[in-house]
Amino acid sequence: MKPNPEQYTATARTAVADPVLQKALAGLQDRFGRGTALAYQQLPEGPDLRHVAHDIRMDAIQHLDSLLDELAGNFRKNGGQVYFAQDAKDAVAYCLKVAQENNVKRVVKGKSMVTEEIRLNDALADAGIEALETDLGEYIIQLANEGPSHLIAPAVHKSKEDVGRLFTEKLGIDYTDDPPSLTRVARKALREKFLAADMGLSGCNLACAETGHITTVSNEGNIRMASTLPRIHMVFMGMERIAARLQDLDILLRLLCRGAAAQKLGTYVSHISGPASPDNLDGPEQLHLVILDNGRSKMLADPDFREMLCCIRCAACLNVCPVYGKIGGHSYGFAYSGPVGAVVTPLLIGINRAADLCQGETLCGACQNACPVNIDLPRMLLLLRAKLADGDEKWQVSRRSSLEKAAYQFWARIMQNRRTYDLAVDAAQLLQRLLPTNRGMLRFLPPPFNGWTKSRDMQPLAAETFAQWWKANQKGDAHGKR
Amino acid sequence: MASADQRAFLHNLRRALTGNAVNAPVPAGDPVDRQAGIYQRPTRVESRGREERLSLLDQVIEESGPINLKVTAHKDIQSVAMGIRRLAVESQPEWGDKKQVAAWNHPLIKALNLPEVLKETGIPVEFPIQTHAGDREKQRQWIFDAYIGITSADFCLADSATLVLKTRAGQDRSVSLVPSIHVAVIRLEQILGSLKELYFILDNDPEQVQEGLTPCLTFITGPSKTADIEATMVHGAHGPREVYLFVVTGE
Repeated sequence: MKPNPEQYTATARTAVADPVLQKALAGLQDRFGRGTALAYQQLPEGPDLRHVAHDIRMDAIQHLDSLLDELAGNFRKNGGQVYFAQDAKDAVAYCLKVAQENNVKRVVKGKSMVTEEIRLNDALADAGIEALETDLGEYIIQLANEGPSHLIAPAVHKSKEDVGRLFTEKLGIDYTDDPPSLTRVARKALREKFLAADMGLSGCNLACAETGHITTVSNEGNIRMASTLPRIHMVFMGMERIAARLQDLDILLRLLCRGAAAQKLGTYVSHISGPASPDNLDGPEQLHLVILDNGRSKMLADPDFREMLCCIRCAACLNVCPVYGKIGGHSYGFAYSGPVGAVVTPLLIGINRAADLCQGETLCGACQNACPVNIDLPRMLLLLRAKLADGDEKWQVSRRSSLEKAAYQFWARIMQNRRTYDLAVDAAQLLQRLLPTNRGMLRFLPPPFNGWTKSRDMQPLAAETFAQWWKANQKGDAHGKR
Repeated sequence: MASADQRAFLHNLRRALTGNAVNAPVPAGDPVDRQAGIYQRPTRVESRGREERLSLLDQVIEESGPINLKVTAHKDIQSVAMGIRRLAVESQPEWGDKKQVAAWNHPLIKALNLPEVLKETGIPVEFPIQTHAGDREKQRQWIFDAYIGITSADFCLADSATLVLKTRAGQDRSVSLVPSIHVAVIRLEQILGSLKELYFILDNDPEQVQEGLTPCLTFITGPSKTADIEATMVHGAHGPREVYLFVVTGE
């Protein structure tokens, strides 16, 4: 899927009008949003453990260079191979090189957002290699030729009838919309693929520098299959996904699983540190780790956005976001959706290009409270908006609207002077009488403010301003009591 | 050791980290106190008495309910062997109609004497011991065709009913993954309180440190599941549909 954050408004409009999606999103947020909050409450250390996790993550990010060095050294010592990829092209080329050297024809994939980010599936298909998604949700959207609409529940936008029709068309089964039957169909089809695959690809939830292993979490078992059965296993890791010490995983994994699905632990957590060896023949013959920058070092270099590298992609913020809950994941136009997408996508692919994403969020703060590592997303959303308002050289942002900037500067001038402010208010009070009303509310504002009243009414200015009221009522009662 | 790609990559990160180190508006976070703070030694793991261990087992049983892990406690291994025999007779293979069992080459599993116990049922048991690559294909195929996989576990975590399995020669990770039914057998003493205890032991116990994590250290918390179609929970997405834990309590 090509990134298309430019289509934000249009896609969002379609999403809001889609009753199936609306029901699915409401259900998802109701279940996971509340479940996660409750799971934090029930932590033995209490919900403040999220702050400790933030410290652990931030500490790791501040030492990213030495920790990645340590990770690579230990991973190689354990028998794996490590490649550092500067960008998407670099990572894709390495994957293709290994695939071609080993005569790989069939690839099975565990769920990995970072491979969505670098559009690996397209590249593999172009090279004539079959790359099959094996997470049930990812499998469904791959059959439907769509992109994921949620980091953890990628097919949340599909009804069971949709899936039934899709499987009938693509897999030639008799129609059913029974989820257990549909799951069995996929289980059988994919089992054969796992057994026949030459290479397994997966992401990496966390890598550990001290031990040189990578950790993956899944409920279905597809990542275990992809990392155990094929003769080559390749892991793609965003460079920030590192834990310094083995014991850091205790807090991070417990919070990750609670944030992602309100679970104490996901069904399967694998700590993979090496390929098969002569005295331990189970597992892949080759194990590769690809560590990806792809724009992340720019976040690292900017203290304003360094905190974003603490993110462990659990999707807890999606499950509480009032905006995501209405517009769904596709509107964000990239691998990452919801509040995390609204910050990460602009930073990865261009702030101007993805301008709508940060402007669309509400700054309500629900995402920070839901975040297992307590990332201050609203702060960064505001900073992105500031860059769009003023332009920014370092991030190559051009000012989004000089007219808007001029209007605010004009407004600031008026606000700063008592007399001009009063005049403006008097004028507005007069002018608003010309506007149509409904039950005391203004139905329409004139351009350029008409966007505001497209889908809501506006409270008119009061007939009497507070200053006027105060003047009239303070007589005889200095404290203003009624 | 470091390759050219690594040197360039890390050089870039070093520049990113040091270029703006001064006046960072984002607090770097409190220093992480690993010594005295968040990773204190868990209380008395080794010196737990029987009562305490039995109450950890109760916790495993309580936690196993919501995740559909089936836990039973047995006085001795004969009783476990009978339980496995009953399960093998009553369960049906998911793929094809051949019944065969793959089991870990592990002292506790060997002690169950399963080939003998299952002999009259006609269900064969194999212990994958791979000494050379030729064996590998044969053993892989046996595991793929098995409907039950029997393993032990290194530990079990009481507060989430999680099995912890290292992988070793003859103790393949696919035995707990590919067959439709996974059976794990452990002793009461292998139950720990929490993930925190586990990582502490892995990090500090001399034997554990000596062995390392092995190529794959796996946590298993109940049977495979998915909720990807309209949030309906279905067991057996890719891994086992059913998981049974037999705990030998002794005495």
